[in-house]
Amino acid sequence: MAIIGQLFVNGLIAGSIYALVASGFSLIYATNRFLHLAHGTTVAVGAYLLFALFSVLGIPFFVSALVAIILTGLFGLLMNRAIYSPLRKRKASNIVLLIASLALLSLTENIIMLIAGPGVKSIGWLPTKTGIHIGGAIITPLQIAIIVISVVLMILLYLFMKKTKLGRDMRAVADNKELASIAGINPIRISDYSFMIGSAIAGVAGILIGLEQNLFPTMGVMLIIKGFTGAVIGGMTSVPGAVVGSYIVGVIENLGILWLPSGYKDAIAFALLFVFILWKPTGLFGFNKGVKDA
Amino acid sequence: MLIKNVFKRFGGVKALQGCSLEIEKGKITALIGPNGSGKSTLFNAISALITKDRGKIELEGEDISRMVGYKIAKKGISRTFQEVRLFKHLTIRDHLQIAISDDESLIKSFLVFDGISDKRIQEVLDRVHLDKPLGTFVTDLSYGQRKLLDLAIAIAKPHTLLMLDEPVAGVNPRLRKVIKEVLVRLSKEGETLLIIEHDMNFVMDLADVVYVLDEGRVIAHGKPKTIQKNKKVLDAYLGE
Amino acid sequence: MLENYIIHIAILICIYTIFSVSYNVALGYTGLITLAHVALYGIGAYTSALLTRAGYPFISGILLAGVVAAIFGFFLVYTTRKLKGDYLAMATLGFAFVAYSIEINWTGLTRGALGLPGIVKPALFGFRIGSNVEMLLFVFIVAVISIAIMWRIVRSGFGRLMEATRDDETGVEVLGKNAFAIKAKAMMISAFFAGIAGSLFAHYISYIDPGTFYLTEIILLLTIVIVGGAASMRGSIIGAVLVVVVGDVLRLFDLPSVLIGPSRHIIYAVLLLCVLLYRPRGILGRVDLI
Repeated sequence: MAIIGQLFVNGLIAGSIYALVASGFSLIYATNRFLHLAHGTTVAVGAYLLFALFSVLGIPFFVSALVAIILTGLFGLLMNRAIYSPLRKRKASNIVLLIASLALLSLTENIIMLIAGPGVKSIGWLPTKTGIHIGGAIITPLQIAIIVISVVLMILLYLFMKKTKLGRDMRAVADNKELASIAGINPIRISDYSFMIGSAIAGVAGILIGLEQNLFPTMGVMLIIKGFTGAVIGGMTSVPGAVVGSYIVGVIENLGILWLPSGYKDAIAFALLFVFILWKPTGLFGFNKGVKDA
Repeated sequence: MLIKNVFKRFGGVKALQGCSLEIEKGKITALIGPNGSGKSTLFNAISALITKDRGKIELEGEDISRMVGYKIAKKGISRTFQEVRLFKHLTIRDHLQIAISDDESLIKSFLVFDGISDKRIQEVLDRVHLDKPLGTFVTDLSYGQRKLLDLAIAIAKPHTLLMLDEPVAGVNPRLRKVIKEVLVRLSKEGETLLIIEHDMNFVMDLADVVYVLDEGRVIAHGKPKTIQKNKKVLDAYLGE
Repeated sequence: MLENYIIHIAILICIYTIFSVSYNVALGYTGLITLAHVALYGIGAYTSALLTRAGYPFISGILLAGVVAAIFGFFLVYTTRKLKGDYLAMATLGFAFVAYSIEINWTGLTRGALGLPGIVKPALFGFRIGSNVEMLLFVFIVAVISIAIMWRIVRSGFGRLMEATRDDETGVEVLGKNAFAIKAKAMMISAFFAGIAGSLFAHYISYIDPGTFYLTEIILLLTIVIVGGAASMRGSIIGAVLVVVVGDVLRLFDLPSVLIGPSRHIIYAVLLLCVLLYRPRGILGRVDLI
């Protein structure tokens, strides 16, 4: 029984990270309607920026973290401005945009590898602390912090989308781009903001991962697959749906270890992705109907 | 050909509400009605591009209601679309090769070089008076020429029934006359035609039988002369 | 030294030519959106490597590599037949990830991340290929035969149907042709030759691991086909030559090997992005990517 508790807790921790990845991804998808797979390496960019600022240059941690988040947001904006906007101006198909995002993913990954080297890095801000026992499961303070930070961030994002003008404009564009632009909302501005905000959230994810695990240049691929799977389960265009979907992915892949060897952890997420795309592309909550024609 | 009681709804919109008609062999049947009366929906239901909610469709005594689209086409239904539908990277020759040949075999086409001669393709083009080199890409054709090619494809494809969706929509008066002559000649040769037309005048001296559709129902049918005087028909058109 | 290097490059070009032309048959000629082609190539490589390691002759290995890849190609088209656009692309990418995770986790069969070493050089009719010159001759002949077959297919009546299906599936059905069957056959042909290319790669390099058939390889393949141009066989051949040479030219400089790998992938990605931005139809492409 204790093992189930532990796996569940592990699932929640993983799910929190995936939720941060998926919410940014889904925000970008909802307002731009194409798959920005390079969002995965945006997370890696955030983590490596923290490593460079804090571990290499020795800038105080919280300053480094803040700068890393801002720079990651700007990195997202740069990708949109330099690559996606010109392609969309040319009315490139979604497949072209998807291929461009794969190229960006590979490009960023390899630039990181070139600068930082292929080996693993660790931030080493917090010493590894012994965990706290909660109902048979062990959880470290950092892991609690990860869950709390991501939940708080999700609530803030939700409030931002509901209460602010920019958030409401974003939802309007997500809902109906033509109508929104008739109503005087500039879709290009919204697109830029969605990339900035989504990427900044990815930067937070990168920092949290960096504190808990080692960094390696190709870390983004796995993260985007998990985040994307979460988003698909949640219904792609719904940010709250993507968050719930991500926790489902985190918990299922960790509980799956009860029956399968631990090497299959990633395969479980892939299988979930494949099954959902084939049989339930509208996601669990039925958002984004008509995706088959998208 | 028999069409019995076809129903179709799109969400809350009842596009077809028990449509029934009978198409006689060797005759020109026209399907008229105001915009949104369900004419094109009926065509799509016949050729199984949309699944109907219920209803039965028979072609020469055989029930084709449950067949998939390409099988219905193989059974002998040729059709055109209101918006001309051509393969944008292919030439005139390619289009007619595909239309005339009913062969889809990979191995056979791998071993045997093309069976359909340019002479045969040229004959079809001559029938619709389309005078363009066979190697012309369809993107280089004018609207009227595309309309003619679309008609040629439907004629060239082996068929027993020819269904044309607004064959003269948007074409100039000269071409309109050409197309009308082509249709008259086809009918003389014994072809069975079902034509959708928005414009009543065009079909009045062309069709043998006219069906009038309104809000997904047949509100009148008969000879063009009698239809023209039918009050329900006039209301449907004037009330538009 | 330089001579050996040129032969090595020439062998890779032959293999990538088969691979990229086969991808173009699916993507460019038939309009099948698939990102799983590298997985099919990997399935071919593993099939052939495992069979020859188990003692079966090379000829059965390479042919079954094609057949098994074709079966998976059919499976892929069949399972995704109702999907379009983004979702189709992601389902096929998902297939590639599933194939990767099976290759890495089914250690009993594939030895997982350790990979399969010691894959024998091709042997035909009792003659085993020893030198790289012989290998080059062999892959060149296989490439010529493969491309001739695919060329004949795209120029045949069936090829015309493939292109029509790409342009308008419904239009094809209205003319009484089974569009699904056309797509399935085209995909199986494409997958068959991807499997053959995978087998040649495995038997030339003599070692494969799951990482060989992962994301970087997908980018490489996309770069070749998109630089060369969709629905152009000559384009894919030129693309393969260009991309392999450009990617490998770095080795002529005295760079440490840690830098060569990433630099090469950066070149591919930049090349791909530039073509997408400034010359979307590539060198000889006849159609836009769907």
